[in-house]
Amino acid sequence: MREKIREFILSRFMLDAKPEDLKDGISFLETGVIDSTGVVELLAFLEAEFEIEVEDSEIVPENLDSVDSLCRYLESKGVTVSPP
Amino acid sequence: MDFSKKVLKIETEAEAERISRFIREQVLARYKRKGVVVGISGGVDSALMAALSVRALGAEKVLGLIMPEKESSPVSEPYGREQAQALGIQVEYIDLTPLLSALGVYEKKTRVIRRLCGDYEPDRDKTKISLPGNLLERAELNVFSLTVEKPDGTAHSFRLGPEDFRSIYAAQNIKTRMRMIQLYYHGEKNHYVVGGTTNRTEMEQGFFVKYGDGGVDIEPIAHLYKTQVLQLARSMGVIERILKRRPSPDTWSGEVGDEEFYFRMPFEILDLLLYAWNHGVAKDRIREVLGLRDEQIDRAFRDFESKSRATWHLRCVAPSLMS
Repeated sequence: MREKIREFILSRFMLDAKPEDLKDGISFLETGVIDSTGVVELLAFLEAEFEIEVEDSEIVPENLDSVDSLCRYLESKGVTVSPP
Repeated sequence: MDFSKKVLKIETEAEAERISRFIREQVLARYKRKGVVVGISGGVDSALMAALSVRALGAEKVLGLIMPEKESSPVSEPYGREQAQALGIQVEYIDLTPLLSALGVYEKKTRVIRRLCGDYEPDRDKTKISLPGNLLERAELNVFSLTVEKPDGTAHSFRLGPEDFRSIYAAQNIKTRMRMIQLYYHGEKNHYVVGGTTNRTEMEQGFFVKYGDGGVDIEPIAHLYKTQVLQLARSMGVIERILKRRPSPDTWSGEVGDEEFYFRMPFEILDLLLYAWNHGVAKDRIREVLGLRDEQIDRAFRDFESKSRATWHLRCVAPSLMS
């Protein structure tokens, strides 16, 4: 599942980058990888790909702002993620 | 200047003179045009721009366009007319509704809204989009919700997905771009420049439409934070109803202010934080002056950075290989 997240981020938001450029712990918002409209696309991806519903109160940086946070968040929603 | 709650106070007479001189130089010397045309929205920015233009050039050289459409607030037109009359400027009234209907703006929006709210009736229900509340109090990221308000007062909100958001956003932007078309028609016909009304808070955070209200010839108030626009507008005698009016995009049938639509905090604190961000004010000084916690300041600054970065293209000419 981690790979699916990485693949999405790279293909949608880091088109000009190499896979090794995406560090799992970096903040998407602070580095500009995802901007405010990008969050909406990320939510759509999470809900479709992992069949979860993201509550409004869960749309916070703690859950969504890096590959690592996304993995932790998905685990909390009962989705199994692969180790790094 | 040391950071304090008074840091945005301006010397209004000196500022009015400085901006008027700028308008005069730009219009007469640089563009070599005869006057200014301004879109009069019934809001404080355009009222101020019109007043400054009158001070710079005289009322006979300023033309106001009042351009409502069917989803505009009912006060926009009367407020605009009253302000224009107070300034003694000529106005042209253009109802944009038929033009926007012909372009399918309302139909495009209705299609999207009905996907989310099956019983939406555009002639009966009101709609608006908004972001989650005050970001100083709430950590939620910027995701727009659409709210449909029924005549009985009930309201239903729906989170907008990426395609729905883009469809609605693109359709809505046609309204502002249609105003730009009208302004340039009247500007070019009269040999006038098109006067912009974007303030600094909006300019830096990308709260304007590319080639919409961003499509203008001069931007005389783009260096003023919103709260400074209000100071100057008050000193220049902008009518009280406009001074008291809650700033809004005025593109939705439902009432929504700029704060809930985009900025997520009141202008009084937003402008001070934006100033602090722009000037690298130390966090402990911000904490001391504004009484905010570090996490609130961080959240605000992250939002400013994100919006500024995402809207870079609004503030420059299109990239090219021209050296």
